[in-house]
Amino acid sequence: MEQAIIVNNLVKRFGRVEALRGTSFTVKDREIYGLIGPNGAGKTTTLRILSTLISPSSGSAEIFGSDVTKSPEKIREIISYLPEDAGAYQNLSGFEYLEFMASFYAGSERLADEMVSEGEKISGLEERLEEKIKGYSKGMNRRLLLARALMMRPKLAILDEPTSGLDVLHAHHVRQMIKSYVDTQGVTVLLSSHNMLEVEYLCHRVALIDKGRVIAIGTPVELKERFKSENLEQAFMEATRLE
Amino acid sequence: MNDLKSLIIKEVKELARDPKIWIGVILMPLIMFPIMGSAINISQRSMMRAMLSASFAVYNEDEGPVVDALLSHLYENNTVLTIETQSLEGAIEEFLETNATTMLYIKKGYSMNVSAGRKARLKVYANLKSLTIAETGSTDSITSLLNVYGYYLSLEKIEGLLNAMDDPSDPRAILYPLSLSAASIIKGNVIEVAPSSILNLIMSQSVMLPVMVMVMLMFAIQMAATSIAIEKEQKTLETLMTLPVSRMTILSGKLAGSIVISVAGAISYMIGFSYYVTSAFSFAPEMTSMTTGDIGLGIQPVGILLLGINIFITLVSGLALAISLSVFMDSVRSAQSLTSFLIIPVAIPAIILMFSDISMLPPSIRLILLAIPYTHSILASKAAFLGDYVIVIRSIAYIAVFTVILLYGAARIFSSERIITARFTSMDIRDILRRGRRDE
Repeated sequence: MEQAIIVNNLVKRFGRVEALRGTSFTVKDREIYGLIGPNGAGKTTTLRILSTLISPSSGSAEIFGSDVTKSPEKIREIISYLPEDAGAYQNLSGFEYLEFMASFYAGSERLADEMVSEGEKISGLEERLEEKIKGYSKGMNRRLLLARALMMRPKLAILDEPTSGLDVLHAHHVRQMIKSYVDTQGVTVLLSSHNMLEVEYLCHRVALIDKGRVIAIGTPVELKERFKSENLEQAFMEATRLE
Repeated sequence: MNDLKSLIIKEVKELARDPKIWIGVILMPLIMFPIMGSAINISQRSMMRAMLSASFAVYNEDEGPVVDALLSHLYENNTVLTIETQSLEGAIEEFLETNATTMLYIKKGYSMNVSAGRKARLKVYANLKSLTIAETGSTDSITSLLNVYGYYLSLEKIEGLLNAMDDPSDPRAILYPLSLSAASIIKGNVIEVAPSSILNLIMSQSVMLPVMVMVMLMFAIQMAATSIAIEKEQKTLETLMTLPVSRMTILSGKLAGSIVISVAGAISYMIGFSYYVTSAFSFAPEMTSMTTGDIGLGIQPVGILLLGINIFITLVSGLALAISLSVFMDSVRSAQSLTSFLIIPVAIPAIILMFSDISMLPPSIRLILLAIPYTHSILASKAAFLGDYVIVIRSIAYIAVFTVILLYGAARIFSSERIITARFTSMDIRDILRRGRRDE
């Protein structure tokens, strides 16, 4: 199977702070891969480097064969990134927002229309899409943004805390959206999360990150077995204790 | 090209639908200026009405035959209240009880003095009840009535004397022996208009132009600084930066969107302002009767073209400056405080050049002003009107070089991760420098 992401010894420094200290992992094509770690572990920094927003201080990262620092334009064409606390343009309607985003990925008007109707379906917001985004709840906003990230069928979707701050109903809907989209469309997903249950439910494989380094990689079942834990949370605690 | 179009449309929609911008930039000038103009107009008109309808009182102590001519001159076309008492004190008391604002006091011996060729004494009393301009105006109107009467009285006297001496001279020439008229020469053409009137016209134009350029730049800077801050505040910037569009296209979209809104703002400002000028000063039509075209100073097509280029480049440069700096601001509020800093290099040359010419300034101030690119925008606008195209082209070249440097800087910032990582919440310069060094 083709490798979707190859991250090799990634280091990122912000002034004196070392956010990443040699992070390495690989993600296979059509895999849902999770990054788990506490706040400040380096999850968002890793995702931002892979999304070409920031450059690594050293080390390398490739997405479907393209290097993030050498060919960022190529990468931007095949990925979609959903930042953790992302927002949408408050004075546009949900529909206008999807149209605006589709215009950058679709080569023709027909394709753009297809993407927008796909986005409508994924979001499940129906007629609320006609309203201005400023009236949306946090959950509606997140559903719209996830629909935006998936509707253009990227080869890789990078989702930073996709359900963060959502209530049970919205979080459930978002998880369902991701799972069914990957199953039907064959998209690779790299996501970060604090929610161990979510990761266990969604991800094929998981990397545990702490203090800018990957401390363990495996399927949720493997990790639980390796650290003799009942759940991923315990496995993570055990892994950090052994480090 | 389609990407740029989408970005511009989004930018315009976002800015134009923002009530703060819609009301503050487009609607306010259209409402505020006409209201201000109407307010001034109403007060001016009521003042003039008060002046015209002002009645005055006359207290006459003289009983000679000559005073009747003066009285009938005053009674003609005016509402005159005759006060009949025995003393001046009594007359003043009675005058204060009337609606009249002024009282003419004709002293005893008026007829005798006029007949004997001596100065006849008159006195005007003004009752300042509300201390408004209208009250002094009515004093002025009775004074001018008396001056006219005095003029004809002199002519009559001179005519009588000339007749007695059998002298054929014109009495008017004896009263005013010199007749002076003035003409101005502009670019070799003699124009039958006094130089002071022409200078007044040029001054009014040279005040308007810097104001126009300044207002437009202020709108542009505000738009651009806010548009980046909105992206950061709404947390949309990161998503925008991961779209498959070049950073230059995103930057151009921001510039173009801001230009569209700031031009709309400037147009609405100018419409509002011209309405203000016409409505506020409509009671004085002579103020607007002469144009620069009438005196051969009308702007030529080449001038209009150069003026357009100048304004466009100035706008782009203001936008590039605002965008480059606003990258470091993470909220609309901090962007607005940045705007107030950026207004300084725009406002200072505009204000100075509104009241004086660059050549009149001391050399040190002139050098400082000339170093500021926005000084050249104002100089170029003035020069375009006066047809000094060399100055216009020189100024445009200076702003263009500055703009290219700014755009290069803006493009560099847009292409780097600084646009994502830079976060300055305060305008503390030391803090910004300290953080800047740490980012290196």
